[in-house]
Amino acid sequence: MTQRALVAFILALALVTGVFGQNLGTGTGGGQRGTTAAAATPAVPAKPTPRWPNGKPLLGTSPGEVSLWLPAGGGGERFINADSAVPVPDKLRESEVPMQPWARALFAYRLENQLEPHTRCRPSGGPRQFLTPYGVEILEMPSSQTIFIMDLGGPHTYRAIYMDGRPHPADLVPSYYGHSIGRWEGDTLVIDSVGFNEKFWIDRQGTPHTDRLHMIEKLTRTDYNTIKYEVTIDDVGAYTKTWTSGFNLRWVANSELFEYVCQDNNYAPELMVGTQESVDRTSKIVP
Amino acid sequence: MRHPVLSLVVLVAAAGLLILPLTAHHEITAKFDPAKTSTLRGIVTYVDWSNPHVHIFMNVGTGNNQVNWAVELESVVDLQKAGYKRDTVKPGDAISVEGITARDNSRQIWGNTVTLTAGNRRVFNVPEEPATPKTAGAPTPRWPDGKPRLGPVTGTTGYWAKPSASILVQSGTTVRANKNGLLANIADVDKVAPFQPWARDLFALRQRNRLADDPQYLYCLPPGGPRQFQGAMGVQFIEDKEHQRIFVFVGSVDRNWRLIYLDGRQQVGQVRGDADNPLYYGRSVGKWEGDALVVDTKGFNEKFWFSNGGLPHTDKLHLIEKFTRTDTNTLKYEVTIDDPGAYTRSWTSGWDMQWVANEELPVFFCQDNRP
Repeated sequence: MTQRALVAFILALALVTGVFGQNLGTGTGGGQRGTTAAAATPAVPAKPTPRWPNGKPLLGTSPGEVSLWLPAGGGGERFINADSAVPVPDKLRESEVPMQPWARALFAYRLENQLEPHTRCRPSGGPRQFLTPYGVEILEMPSSQTIFIMDLGGPHTYRAIYMDGRPHPADLVPSYYGHSIGRWEGDTLVIDSVGFNEKFWIDRQGTPHTDRLHMIEKLTRTDYNTIKYEVTIDDVGAYTKTWTSGFNLRWVANSELFEYVCQDNNYAPELMVGTQESVDRTSKIVP
Repeated sequence: MRHPVLSLVVLVAAAGLLILPLTAHHEITAKFDPAKTSTLRGIVTYVDWSNPHVHIFMNVGTGNNQVNWAVELESVVDLQKAGYKRDTVKPGDAISVEGITARDNSRQIWGNTVTLTAGNRRVFNVPEEPATPKTAGAPTPRWPDGKPRLGPVTGTTGYWAKPSASILVQSGTTVRANKNGLLANIADVDKVAPFQPWARDLFALRQRNRLADDPQYLYCLPPGGPRQFQGAMGVQFIEDKEHQRIFVFVGSVDRNWRLIYLDGRQQVGQVRGDADNPLYYGRSVGKWEGDALVVDTKGFNEKFWFSNGGLPHTDKLHLIEKFTRTDTNTLKYEVTIDDPGAYTRSWTSGWDMQWVANEELPVFFCQDNRP
């Protein structure tokens, strides 16, 4: 079997067995194992934004409560609107995104070849971490000057946002979540991140980025049930100017973190640990 | 040797001169043969600066006889701590590498030493960390309710690392093992734990295979049980008082988190009541007994090794773990292992961990250099 055929076979197998279930964007992918995500949205108006005693909006789970944040569109929503689709307010069409030519070519390729690193259990930085059907919990504790985003739909890991006023370190090793520092601007949490590696996709379609990516995310809990998530992509390696997109997160009550490990039962271990063009790693023992 | 030119370049060192690496994150002798020492000289073609192990690729030989070798080194985390950066060695640099080559005869070498030809400068040298003398720390920090704080005090950073033992061995027994739990003497197998015969044989097999089948390194699967406190990257405790739960952030493998509930729930229903879904980290419930956090965990799956060195367990594994921060710098870890599927009786083990002040848990992903 050629390598290409092998990859195709593994992909087909994975699709059949549901490894990529998270990518299908059904919105109920997490329902059976972990959440009640499919519960109907109540028709009553949402309660106002909950707040800490100091007046700041509470993004995490209120004391005594159990909850997660899920993508309001189920996770299948696009970060960039397709040219052929119905126009969406505040969201650029594909041809309007200021991609450099190579980035546009790569984006087109990825749209046709959806072998996303997420499916090989890589952590996903930026908007992508919010776009899984399992969702996230935002862990915000008065005793900690760090906000953690517990990324439930990945390889069982988390992202840290430092709120103690520290700057970005000078010599960052590129990483999946980058280095994030946050501050409050009124009712909005503004997160500034740099130091990303290029080993993940920032959204589901495969919007390109480079290690020069600088991301500004704004999280605003507009009412009890909603976080408005906006992100500005500033990446001179892939774009000719900055651009902005976003989506809403939906509060889901009575759902809590559980153990989901991407590697568990992943039917594509060869893709996770196996061959690489430049070196013989066919041995079972991998670096 | 398949390549005649290569055989000129590869200087096989005298047999018996075994230079063993000291600090690798996993048992590199499973992949590399300590008896196959070599020296390579060539030109760097690529530097893969990523965890778990950095790789430098180099062309060895001349003209049409050039071949590309992969030189495996320590982790980004360790190399950075030792003062090296991703551009310490760059493509085009001439280097020489002294090390041990792969058992499968592929063109891979573990780099014991790397020397930049220009200036004859030794690089990527990670010195063995000197054993830190145990100093009496300040008194245990406490919450307003008087309970010990397991994590950093607000406004400070730090985490737990440097476990004083690298393998789970029953209390009262001394067994020499390296950092990965590979026994110095295979005859010590029976001393390690009160194994049932099948478990003893499986443990011995894993040891004889030099831990080559470890799911943690093959597939980056989580280190459940005591092993999460044996990793080179350490752990952090995040105490969420508002929700009566404690997160253990596990620094090694894939930067996982484990949850310990202190809200009085039972060990069922933590995954929507799915009792048929055993877990890597199990179902953990904790309570404070004086100054000790006592955690009871059941519901493990059998897909991981629960200790360095490959001690077997079954889904009957039941752990009682006790965490005591005896002073600012010391976390005492005690564990009782009760697994009637693999052991003849319940048994205990334990070790201390040290506080690493003013540092965040290193960012380490086992998956990082996988394709």
